[in-house]
Amino acid sequence: MTFETRSPAETEALASAFANVLKPGAVIAYFGGMGAGKTAFTRGLAKGLGAAGEVSSPTFALVHEYQGEPPLIHFDMYRVSSLDDLYTTGYFDYLNGNNILAIEWSENIEEALPEDAVHVTFEVTGEESRRITIEGGPDFEYPSH
Amino acid sequence: MNILAIDTSAQVASVCVLNENTILSEFSVNAKLTHSQTMMPMVRSALDCAKIELGQVDAFAVSAGPGSFTGIRIGVSAVKGLAMACGKPCAPVSTLEGLAYNLPECSGILCAAMDARCSQVYNALFRWEGGCLHRLCSDRAISIKDLGADLDKFDEKIFLVGDGADLCYNNLKEELPFLQSVPPHLKLQRAASAGLAAIKRLKAGETCTAAELMPVYLRLPQAERELLKKQGK
Repeated sequence: MTFETRSPAETEALASAFANVLKPGAVIAYFGGMGAGKTAFTRGLAKGLGAAGEVSSPTFALVHEYQGEPPLIHFDMYRVSSLDDLYTTGYFDYLNGNNILAIEWSENIEEALPEDAVHVTFEVTGEESRRITIEGGPDFEYPSH
Repeated sequence: MNILAIDTSAQVASVCVLNENTILSEFSVNAKLTHSQTMMPMVRSALDCAKIELGQVDAFAVSAGPGSFTGIRIGVSAVKGLAMACGKPCAPVSTLEGLAYNLPECSGILCAAMDARCSQVYNALFRWEGGCLHRLCSDRAISIKDLGADLDKFDEKIFLVGDGADLCYNNLKEELPFLQSVPPHLKLQRAASAGLAAIKRLKAGETCTAAELMPVYLRLPQAERELLKKQGK
């Protein structure tokens, strides 16, 4: 499914709608560069899952937890380059079926993504507009604007 | 000799107070709660129920790995702190060896397997003989496929224990008709089993100080690690 959003607010709304159909254990793998809308999308997921608090890219912490229902686990794999690195982030512990994982820089851990991971690709199409392609996830209704 | 044993190496959190002859108290939780919520209250309750003061504990046993990165750190850190405060020795045991004590005297091969994700397991093979546990290989991280190839050499029953048991059974049962799954109460980590494995170590004088106690992580297979190298960077 491909969506065109015209602002960060729309990207957020799209992700919020998507969050409603996600089940615990879902892994959302992001593909796309800086400023492409990943943080806005994650903010929408957190909102959709009822998680309070600020969402920011876990560039330095590597992982942020947002206490939603289920919890949302937000990874940034930019600096992860080996399976040993990945192990020490707790990634494999979070794959216990109780959480929803959102993973920035999934390119770096592609071999360690579960087979049923949802791929979300972000493309910059204008100053504020983005093309967001969601592959492998459940169908959902996106509110019209 | 009173022993407090802890296993938080995977989703189960388990705490046991025991001596050489008796399991005095044991608590296990496998309800998707975090270890930080359950473990210390269980330590308190296990000691209270056994009517043992913390100061009467002679040694602290812990499943020191392999297993979940976070889980092992929680168990090892808790035991490190308790042992340091009490000035008592620690007895770290292999999580896989602890699992082998779930099924004493089974006739055949005992295959302990913990899910390491990405179609890999932490594994070791054992055999019980005359009340003694014999180890057939070192603790290892291995793909399920390679484990299947290794198990193919046996022509006797192979009992699977650990949270990777079902995974192995479902993937390998076609090619390995000798595989046996075990019921839920024998399948997963129990602190009593870790404690019994620790007693063997304590009798052999194989203890360490709180400062020396370290988690044991197994490196995942090299071939898999190489696949993760960043491309074009």
